[in-house]
Amino acid sequence: MKDPYVIAWTLLLFSSIAWYGFLVFFIGIRAGREMKTLIKDLTAARPPDGKPPAP
Amino acid sequence: MTLHPLDWIIIVGYVIGCLSAGLWMRRFVRGVDDFTIAGREVHVNLGIASLAATEMGLVTVMYTAQLGYSKGFAGATMGVIMAVGFLFVGYTGFVIKPLRNAGVMTIPELFEKRFSTRVRWLAGVFVALGGLLNMGIFLRLGGDFLVHATGMPASSLELVMTLLLVLVLLYTVVGGMLSVLMTDYLQFILVGVGIVITSVMVVAHIGWTNLITTMQSTWTASGGTSPHPFNPVHPSSFGWGYILWMLVFQLAVVTTWQTTISRVLATKDSATATKMYRRVSFYFVGRFLLPGLWGAAAFVYFTQHGGLPAGLDSMTAMPRYLGVVLPVGLMGILVASMIAAEMSTISGYMLTWATVIYNDIIMPCLKNPLSNKGQLLLTRMILLGIAVFLLFFGLWYQLPGSAWDFLAVTGNIYLASVFTLLIAGLYWPRANSTGAYAALILGAIGPLTFLIVNARATPGHQIAAEVAGGSSFALAFLGMIVGSLVSRAPAKTLQPVPA
Repeated sequence: MKDPYVIAWTLLLFSSIAWYGFLVFFIGIRAGREMKTLIKDLTAARPPDGKPPAP
Repeated sequence: MTLHPLDWIIIVGYVIGCLSAGLWMRRFVRGVDDFTIAGREVHVNLGIASLAATEMGLVTVMYTAQLGYSKGFAGATMGVIMAVGFLFVGYTGFVIKPLRNAGVMTIPELFEKRFSTRVRWLAGVFVALGGLLNMGIFLRLGGDFLVHATGMPASSLELVMTLLLVLVLLYTVVGGMLSVLMTDYLQFILVGVGIVITSVMVVAHIGWTNLITTMQSTWTASGGTSPHPFNPVHPSSFGWGYILWMLVFQLAVVTTWQTTISRVLATKDSATATKMYRRVSFYFVGRFLLPGLWGAAAFVYFTQHGGLPAGLDSMTAMPRYLGVVLPVGLMGILVASMIAAEMSTISGYMLTWATVIYNDIIMPCLKNPLSNKGQLLLTRMILLGIAVFLLFFGLWYQLPGSAWDFLAVTGNIYLASVFTLLIAGLYWPRANSTGAYAALILGAIGPLTFLIVNARATPGHQIAAEVAGGSSFALAFLGMIVGSLVSRAPAKTLQPVPA
């Protein structure tokens, strides 16, 4: 267990699990807001009849 | 193992929800810009979610777990190198900043501005060829996982692959990048949850000390002939030659791989792109290390339970092992998250290669530009064509060696040459179209030779992946330098486009 490679991989592995857990919430919430903004902007760009604008 | 009805409810519920969300985005597609790059409206966090979801596919889980099974944690070294590459590019803006500022839709489009239309066309052919061959094994590996994790009969693999493809095709064809963004977001969350829960369960099941000591003692018992499970530069593991190739290869991936770059090009400006790279970098350590943990744990589990059962190999050991570890409900979440990973990767990749084929191979050949409607129809037809190719290639092709080596070498078909063209085009004023042709052709020789020779040669006479890959980078750079210096072709300069 004193092998520096083992110590490095142990640190990286448990940091990765923690980082993934954090990202799911952090990015999940923020990206969700950005998705809502994107949809709002796209909705505003659509004509009132609800159909996609003619090309 | 057979899935419990609760597992099926989770899986079917997710698939229906994801499909509906993807189809719903169709209403916002106004033209080919919305369809391929979401109208360049993507902000940093959505970009991270989409990039992470696209690059964490079921195929990724399968090949990184195979690396974990056969090479231990040392197999995750590529993830560490890739993370360093993302961080370096995120801080310096190397390649991606001028690329985003050029206002192009694909990398080959930049080559028309910097070199010539013919260079763009030839680069488009190489990008599409390398990308499609690379993607060819995605469906089979995904089907392998589902069959072994759920205990479905092996004969249903083709049916599972076809079903998955049809589902992805449905929302990608109608909604393009906007649908991909929406489904990527949902998939990012589900994949994250699935990976964290599964990793914790695996560590709890196998025991951390047991995992480390068994890997170490198995290597010692082999007399050092089996791959070292922790030290990647040990001669029995990858060795220095392979790692040096990977250093260049991964830098090329983060600056050149079209599915990654399409997220850069979809961001609202270059500052958003570099921020996205910095924040997403550490994700790529886990992308290799966490499924690698599952593979390493499968190795230890089967070593301690009488060896690998008949019909399993280094690739399929991991899904079978997870079938043992995960209880009802969690298995449903894992399978749903892996289906999510497969769908986001296939949709993102299909859209990217369709964009390249449309934008860089077909469009430069058209005398009269197509209408907006015609462009959309053509891109959708190309998507359909790619799906048919995937289905037949996936059914027919048998992997000659490790999945990672196949993916790295097929990606190398265009990575070496396009990386060279990008660096020279952006940072070397003397680079010209003659150098670009030489780099494109010489860069593809090594990987294509690898694929053809290794498909026929016996294991002792096959070409090493690092020799094929490393030589392709050296030849591409040599071709660019000699071709540009020898020829009198005039060099063009890039005109940045405001963001």
